[in-house]
Amino acid sequence: MTNQAVSIRQWIGRQRRNPAVATVIILLVLGVIFSLMSDRFLTWENIQNVTRSSAAVMTVGCAVTLVMIARGLDLSVGSILAATGVLAAFLAANGVELWIAYLAALALGALIGALNGAIIVGLKVTPIIATLGTLNIARGIAYLITPSAILVGLPAAWQTLGTSRVAGIPVPVIVAGLVILFFSWLLNRTVFGRHVYAIGGNEEAARLAGVRVDRVLFLLYLMAGTSAGLAAIVLSSRLGTGDPNIGIGFEFDVIVAVILGGTSLAGGQGRISGTVLGALIVGFLSNGLNLVGVEPFWQYVAKGTALVVAVVLDRLASREPSGIRPGLSQAPQAPEQEGDKSGRNGASE
Amino acid sequence: MTAMVLPARTNGPGAPAVVIRGVSKSFPGVNALIDVSVDILQGEIHCWIGENGAGKSTLIKILAGAQSRDSGLIKLDNRDVALSSPTDAMHEGLSFILQELSVVDGITVADNILLGHEVRRGPEIRRAPSNARAAELLKTIGFGYLSPAAKVGDLSTAEKQAVMVARALHLEARVVFLDETTSTLDADEVSRLFDVMRTLRDKGTSVVFVTHRLQEVMQVADRVTVFKDGQVVQTLLRSEVSESLMVRLMVGREISNFFPPKDRTAGSVVLAARGVGTVGVRDLTLDLRSGEVLGIAGLVGSGRTEALRALFGIDRIRAGTLEVAGQLISLRGIRDAIGRGIAMVPEDRRSQGIIALRSVEENLTITWTDQERSRGWRRKALEITSRFVSELRVRTPSLRQPIGLLSGGNQQKVIVARWLAVQPRVLLLDEPTRGIDVGARAEIYRLIDKLAREGLAVVVVSSDLPEILGLSDRIVVMKDGTVAGELPGTASEEDVVALAMSHGGNAS
Repeated sequence: MTNQAVSIRQWIGRQRRNPAVATVIILLVLGVIFSLMSDRFLTWENIQNVTRSSAAVMTVGCAVTLVMIARGLDLSVGSILAATGVLAAFLAANGVELWIAYLAALALGALIGALNGAIIVGLKVTPIIATLGTLNIARGIAYLITPSAILVGLPAAWQTLGTSRVAGIPVPVIVAGLVILFFSWLLNRTVFGRHVYAIGGNEEAARLAGVRVDRVLFLLYLMAGTSAGLAAIVLSSRLGTGDPNIGIGFEFDVIVAVILGGTSLAGGQGRISGTVLGALIVGFLSNGLNLVGVEPFWQYVAKGTALVVAVVLDRLASREPSGIRPGLSQAPQAPEQEGDKSGRNGASE
Repeated sequence: MTAMVLPARTNGPGAPAVVIRGVSKSFPGVNALIDVSVDILQGEIHCWIGENGAGKSTLIKILAGAQSRDSGLIKLDNRDVALSSPTDAMHEGLSFILQELSVVDGITVADNILLGHEVRRGPEIRRAPSNARAAELLKTIGFGYLSPAAKVGDLSTAEKQAVMVARALHLEARVVFLDETTSTLDADEVSRLFDVMRTLRDKGTSVVFVTHRLQEVMQVADRVTVFKDGQVVQTLLRSEVSESLMVRLMVGREISNFFPPKDRTAGSVVLAARGVGTVGVRDLTLDLRSGEVLGIAGLVGSGRTEALRALFGIDRIRAGTLEVAGQLISLRGIRDAIGRGIAMVPEDRRSQGIIALRSVEENLTITWTDQERSRGWRRKALEITSRFVSELRVRTPSLRQPIGLLSGGNQQKVIVARWLAVQPRVLLLDEPTRGIDVGARAEIYRLIDKLAREGLAVVVVSSDLPEILGLSDRIVVMKDGTVAGELPGTASEEDVVALAMSHGGNAS
């Protein structure tokens, strides 16, 4: 028994460094609080609801996780969601076959993603500014296609994708699951994934080692844009409309999910599983606040606080006894930075 | 504003300025310092030497207030001091000048020197007295030619260090610590920095100088303290030290044949540069032969690194040609060079070589994986890593260890192995032993020799002249971005310096 106690303590000791643990704890704490405050929170139906509504954040969050591991950022995904969703609905309402409308949405997402990549890689504009630009461009495209939500003329089959189930599981959740599997594979099992970590860890070193840094970054933004297109198809179908107003603040939910999931803002670290949990936290947070009866305006305050708290936690978690490498570190004036570099376990898996 | 140039002297020179008694510090699994006692005397240049991990840097961090000690006393003027924060250390008159300089590039020399202690009237900085103060301090240390209004970003590394020294004087530092500040300087700049140290000493300030270069210790030290495995081995007077004694005390054994013998035979030309011009070099003509080590010497800024950048496809070639086995080639980028079997270990390991957070395995195989397309690449990558780790005797607890946690020498071996894994024909090494301790350095030298004997064309760029002379079969000396001349491996230090500093030619 004592042996067991010791090994459990060792396990806890090891997990202390694992950012996913903090994420799970936050999720559980939220769950306990909200289930105490509302008896509707911990029902199977509600959990299904939240999972389904988190699916879009997960679908886009995976690609954005890779972008952020590579030390990039994508603010434009919410607007791409609107532009591509509206495009699909517009085409469908005008008699274009559904699958062509879907393909067109994916293509537009890929195109705007590629534009992000080209501006960032080719023109060397910082990601935050480049994607702030395309955020507005894409939103503009959405309103140019239709200034208000498309409700009439959509074929009956429009809602099939978003509302049907396969083997009892909602299709949006299945789509998110496939996307999660794909990006987990890409990040953990492929050379490409290694290059993503390498670029985020030290872009110059990666370049000098022969990594095609520009190509990798370009593809990451392309993937982020495409997954926003994919999420848009599913979401617009679920909502039964094409609305140029959807996805406002969506990029915020995605980024909060990624950061809550333990992806380091300094790049080079992060996991898909963390982002999935982060997306659930975001989902349960707004759902719980709704159930408890918190006014929508206060929910903005709550989410904003969550982002700041997540970043502060990230900082605290990375602060380490900075002397793991007594002989190596040469910067006594910057102990925090030292800790940041030597701190967390960089080995994947 | 009542700062004085001269520090207040409470005791005469030779009295202890800082007394360190029985300081210990341990980290999980490591005893970084064990019962360390050292005195820093007023008005002395005190060199601290030892291999990486010997404890010098930890002690400096404790003195800088960046780390706490587990036990032991630190006394200034017979007064116990806590040194619990960097501000604390600054108020006690301890100043630190580190390899990674903490100057602010975007502001002026005067602003850097006075930063946080400005000459002001209310909230407003008084420009003229500030500049006068800065100029006065710079003049004290022999850098009077620097304009207080110049942007620090435009200065050389040596000049930036001078700015830091002037800042230390402004803060009335009693002890100035210089941690490996010479490793980025050329010989001329080093001797100027030594002049500054001597000036400080003669004014009664104590100087603690950490370096890996034993010749520098011989040149400048009044006393030498040798660290090994977290303990002080011995403190010696200048008259008692010799290079071989220092090595023996640091390593615990004699290192014989520091440099491997040079009885190598050069093969055919594998890479030739003919009149190559880039943004950093002009009219560069070189032959790299298999089986030999070519040393490239020259002052900092003479184009040594830029020559390697040209050969590795980093800088676009504007003039001249490159030939491989007699055939013209064009390099449109790094990947072209890699495809031609050219490899480069960059100058700054931290910012250009390692990906600190990632594992030894990922760092070692990053280039190899890019060329490997088989399904079992993950297993193969582990095999390759463990082969090189044992072949090159990389000391790491596991292949999954983040490379940032290894010592500099072991990091460097991994970076070299990164290239050996893709079997290059040309290996370009820029400052291969910078910041690497004596023991690991000898291992890197043996590795370079072994690789050349196996038929690689090895190029070594180094600011450390004995290293160039000890390793190279041929030495190319660069000056003003072009080749000033070529010397045989048997050349003397004077020959090289004469070429590197020669006047005339077509320099403009």
